[in-house]
Amino acid sequence: MATLQQHLPLPAALKPPEGGGPPNNGETPPGRRGLARLRQDPQLVARGGLAAFWALLAALIVLPCACFLVLAVSPRLFGQGPQWFTLSYLRQVFTGTTAVSLVDSLWVSAAAAGIGLLVGVPIAWLSNRTLLPGRRFVAGAMWLVLLLPSWLPASGWERLVQPDGVMYRIGLNFPFVTSTIMGPFGVVLLLGLRCVPFSYLAITAALRGLGQEYEDAARTHGASRITSLRLLVPILAPAITSAIAIGFAESVSDFGVAATLAYRANFPLATYQLFADVNGFPPSFPGAAAIGWLLVGSVAVPLALQARALRGRAYRVLSGRSRAAVRRRLSRGGLIASLTVVIGYFAVALGVPGFGALSSSVLSDYGASLRPTLVNYRAVFNNSGLSGPLERSLIYGLIAATVTVALGFLCANLLSRRASASGTLLDFLLLAAVALPGVVFGAGYIFAYNLPALSHVGLDLYQTTTLLVVAYVASSMPTNARVLVGAVSQVDASLRNAARAHGASATRAWARGVLPAISRPVLMAWLLTFSGILLELPLSQLLYAPGSPPASVAIEDNLGNYHFGVGTAQAVVAVAIAFTVVGLALMLFRLVTPAGWRHVGEGVNE
Amino acid sequence: MHAHAQASPDTRRPRGRSVLAGAAVTTAVLAGVQATATAQRTPKAAVVPLVVYSAQGYDKLETQDFSKRYHIPVQLNDNSTGPLLTEIEASKNNPKWGLLWVDGATAFAELDDQHLLLRGFEPNVKWDSLGKAALPADKSYVPTGVTLMAIMAYNKQRVAHPPTSWKALLSPKWKGQVGMDDPSQSGPTYPFIAGMMQDLGGIAQGKAYFSKLKANGLVVNPTNGPTLAALASGQINLALVQSSAGIGAYFSDHNIAVKYLNPVTILPSVIGIDAKAPAQEQKEAELFANYVLSRAGQKVMKTGDPTGDSLYYPVINGIAPRGILPPLSGVKTQSINPYTWGPRENTINSWFDSSIVK
Repeated sequence: MATLQQHLPLPAALKPPEGGGPPNNGETPPGRRGLARLRQDPQLVARGGLAAFWALLAALIVLPCACFLVLAVSPRLFGQGPQWFTLSYLRQVFTGTTAVSLVDSLWVSAAAAGIGLLVGVPIAWLSNRTLLPGRRFVAGAMWLVLLLPSWLPASGWERLVQPDGVMYRIGLNFPFVTSTIMGPFGVVLLLGLRCVPFSYLAITAALRGLGQEYEDAARTHGASRITSLRLLVPILAPAITSAIAIGFAESVSDFGVAATLAYRANFPLATYQLFADVNGFPPSFPGAAAIGWLLVGSVAVPLALQARALRGRAYRVLSGRSRAAVRRRLSRGGLIASLTVVIGYFAVALGVPGFGALSSSVLSDYGASLRPTLVNYRAVFNNSGLSGPLERSLIYGLIAATVTVALGFLCANLLSRRASASGTLLDFLLLAAVALPGVVFGAGYIFAYNLPALSHVGLDLYQTTTLLVVAYVASSMPTNARVLVGAVSQVDASLRNAARAHGASATRAWARGVLPAISRPVLMAWLLTFSGILLELPLSQLLYAPGSPPASVAIEDNLGNYHFGVGTAQAVVAVAIAFTVVGLALMLFRLVTPAGWRHVGEGVNE
Repeated sequence: MHAHAQASPDTRRPRGRSVLAGAAVTTAVLAGVQATATAQRTPKAAVVPLVVYSAQGYDKLETQDFSKRYHIPVQLNDNSTGPLLTEIEASKNNPKWGLLWVDGATAFAELDDQHLLLRGFEPNVKWDSLGKAALPADKSYVPTGVTLMAIMAYNKQRVAHPPTSWKALLSPKWKGQVGMDDPSQSGPTYPFIAGMMQDLGGIAQGKAYFSKLKANGLVVNPTNGPTLAALASGQINLALVQSSAGIGAYFSDHNIAVKYLNPVTILPSVIGIDAKAPAQEQKEAELFANYVLSRAGQKVMKTGDPTGDSLYYPVINGIAPRGILPPLSGVKTQSINPYTWGPRENTINSWFDSSIVK
C-alpha cells in the first residue's frame, strides 16, 4: 500500500483517508490485520523467520552445490556434455584410480579425526582445568595452527624430509623417515594435526560451560578422579561427536595436503582426483561432480554415529546455577608429561610449517646455498602489488566473517534443538557442504548465478564482489556453525528466563543473559572465519571481480610466475597480519567486555 | 545463448543493476561493497570495459599502458591458466570474458573447436618464422611470443659435459639425475610430451621413450619451481623445464645454465577473443592484440617480468629477444598441431600420471 502511494501525485498521496480516521468504519485494513496478527502470534513470526532462513540457506548453499552436483547425471543441463541423463560418470568413480582415492580419503579422514580427538581433548583439558604453565598461550597457538593454509605444513615437511631436503643436507641420512612421512602415515599425521584445533575449540567451549557441580556430585558418591570421567565424558558428548564430524569432513575435503604431500607420495586422495577433473582441459565437470556426490555421501557416516550417540539426550549444562570449576595442580610427573604433549604438538604443528615457509621465503636461490637473505621480503614491501589485494581481503574478511557468524549462530541454534527434523536436515546439509572442496562451490556459484536467464532480468552477479563475499559466507558458514554448536547447545533457557523474570525485555534478556555466555565462542568463530577468508584460494580464483584481486590470488600469481620466494614471503606477511588481527581482537575483547563476560561460561577458578 | 551474442554492451554487463540484485540476495552491507567496486569500474560512454583473462607475468603493466594510451578501461582477471580455463568452460553459456592471454595453443584449439573464439582476425604485423609457425589457419588466435618446452637446465659446476640429445638422457650415466614436471599440474609440460611423441613418430613411441626415462630414474615434480629447486639442491642434475623458467633460474642461482636439445617444441603465448563478446568489446580486444604486437607493447612485454615471462622469443620481425636468451640459430624448433594434439591432452596426461608419475 505504501508503495502504491508513492506513485500517486503528491497531494493525493498526502491526502488523509476520508473521514480523517481509520478507513472501513474503524475496521483494521487487511494489511494491518496481518501485522497485528503477527504481533500477537510470535510463533507465526518464528515460522516466517525460519522460512526466510531456509530460503537464504537454499540460495547460499543448496542451489550452487546442486547446480554442480546435478552435472554428474545431466551434463547437458549446463552445456557440459551431450547427455540429458547418464549414470556413466557415477559408474566411473567406482573404477580405477578414482575408486582407490575415495577409499583412501575415507580411511585417512577417519584416522585424522581420531588423531585430532586424541590430541585435542587432553590439550583442551590441560589448558582449561589445570595450572599448566603457559596455558594462556595455548589458545593463541591453536589459532595460529588454524590460520595456516594446509599446504604450508605439507610443504614444510617436504622441505625437511624429501631426498634433497634439509635433513639430508645437514647430515641426517634417515631414509625411513622420508618414506614414512612421504607416505600414508605422513598424510594422516598432517591432517590429524589440523583436526586438533577443531577438537580443542569444541571441547574447550564445552569445558568452559561445565560447572564444578557434576564432578563434585561424582566425587561425593565415591567416584575416583578417573571414574568421575565416566560422568563427565558423556556430558561432553555433543562436543566430542561434533569434533569427530567436523574433523572428518574437513579432512575429506582438504586439498592442500592432497595436492602436495599426498601427491608427492603417490597416494591419491579424492579431492585431488576431483581437482584433476576440473583442472584438465577441457575440464570434466560431470566427472568432478560424481566424485562430489561420494564426498557428500561420506559425511553421512560420522553424522549417523553422532545421531546414535546423542539420541534422546539433553546437554544444557550452562545455567544460572553453574558453579566455577577448580583448576588442578599437576604432579611433577604429570607436569612433565603434559608439557611434553603440549610443546611437542605445537613444535610439530607450527615449527615444521614455520620452518618450511620461512626457509622458502629467505632463500633466494631455490635453497642451493642455504644462505639466508631478505631480498624476497624487500621485494614484497617495495613493489609486489600486495598492499591493495591485502586491504581488499581484510575488508572482505571483516564483512564476510560478521555475516557468517550471525548466520552460523542461527544454524547452531537450530542444530542444538533436540529431536528436530529441521535440525537433522540442517546438520547433514552443513556437514555435506564442509565435505565439498572450495572449487566445487566456486564452479557451482558460476553455474547457479551466471544463467543467461538471470542476465536477461538484470541479475548479473558473476564476477562481482557481492557474489565473492556471498560465496565466502556460504563456504565458511558450515564450519562456523559446527564450531558454535558446542557452546550454543549448552546454554540453558534459565539464563534468559532469569532476566525475563526480573523484567527485562526479550532482547535485553538475551543480551544480558545469553550473550555473555556465548560471547567468547562467537568471537572465536568470527576469528576462525576471518582468518580462513584472508587466504582462501579456490573461490577467490574463480569468482573474484576482474581488477580487484584478493590477497590469495596475488600470492598465487607470484608463485605461478616463477617468483616462488616472493610468493612465500607474501604468504608469511599475510599470515603475520592475520595473526596480528587475531591478537588485537582478543586483546580488545579483554579490554572492552565486562569482567563478568570473560568469566561467565568459563567455569574455572584459578 | 544466441540472444546473448546479440546483446548490446549495456545489457551484457549491467553492473549497476548487479548492486540491486546483490542487495536482494544478501545484506545491505554486502551491496555496499559492490557499490564501491562498481563506481570504480564505470566505463566512459563510447567504450565498454575490456575484460582480460591473463596468466602472463607482465599483464598488469601491459593492460595499464594500453588503457593509458587508448583510454579504454581494462578489467584484468590475473590468474593461473587452470582457473581461467575452468571459468571460461563453466561460464560458456553466458561468458563474461573478452580476451584470453595464456601460454600454449592446445587450449585455444579446444576453445575454437567449441566455437568460443572469434575467427578471422590477424594483426597487421610482419611475422617472423616463429610467428608464422604458431598462427592458425582460421586465425582464431594470435601468438604474441614464444617460449620453448622443454629445455634442459643443469648445474654447470656439477655437470661439465651435459648430454647433447634426448636419447642420451636414457644413458645409465644420467640414471636418477633427470627431472621434469607433471603435465596434469604444469600446463606447459603437455606440449613438451606431445612434441616428443610427434618427433619420435607417434604416441606409442613417445610412451616408450618416457617409460624408458622412468626406468632410468626420472624424477617428476609438480611444476617448474620444485623441479628447479631439486636441481639447485643436487637431487637431480638435469631439469627439463620451460625455457623462461630455466633461464630465469640463472638470476637466482648463477651456477644454472641451459642447453637446447634438438628438436625443441615451441610454446606460443596466445591471445584469443571471445566469439560471444559484444562487437565493441571485440574491437577493443583486436586493438589490444595490435597494441601488444606493436613496438610499445613489445617493450612492456620484454621488461615487465624480467626474470620470468619476459624471457620469450618475439614472433615479429624487428624485435630482438632479451640479451640473456641464447640465439636460436642452429637449434631445430618444431610446432605441434594444437587441433590434433589438443583433444588428446586429457588421455595422455592420465596415462602419464598412472604410468610415469606413480
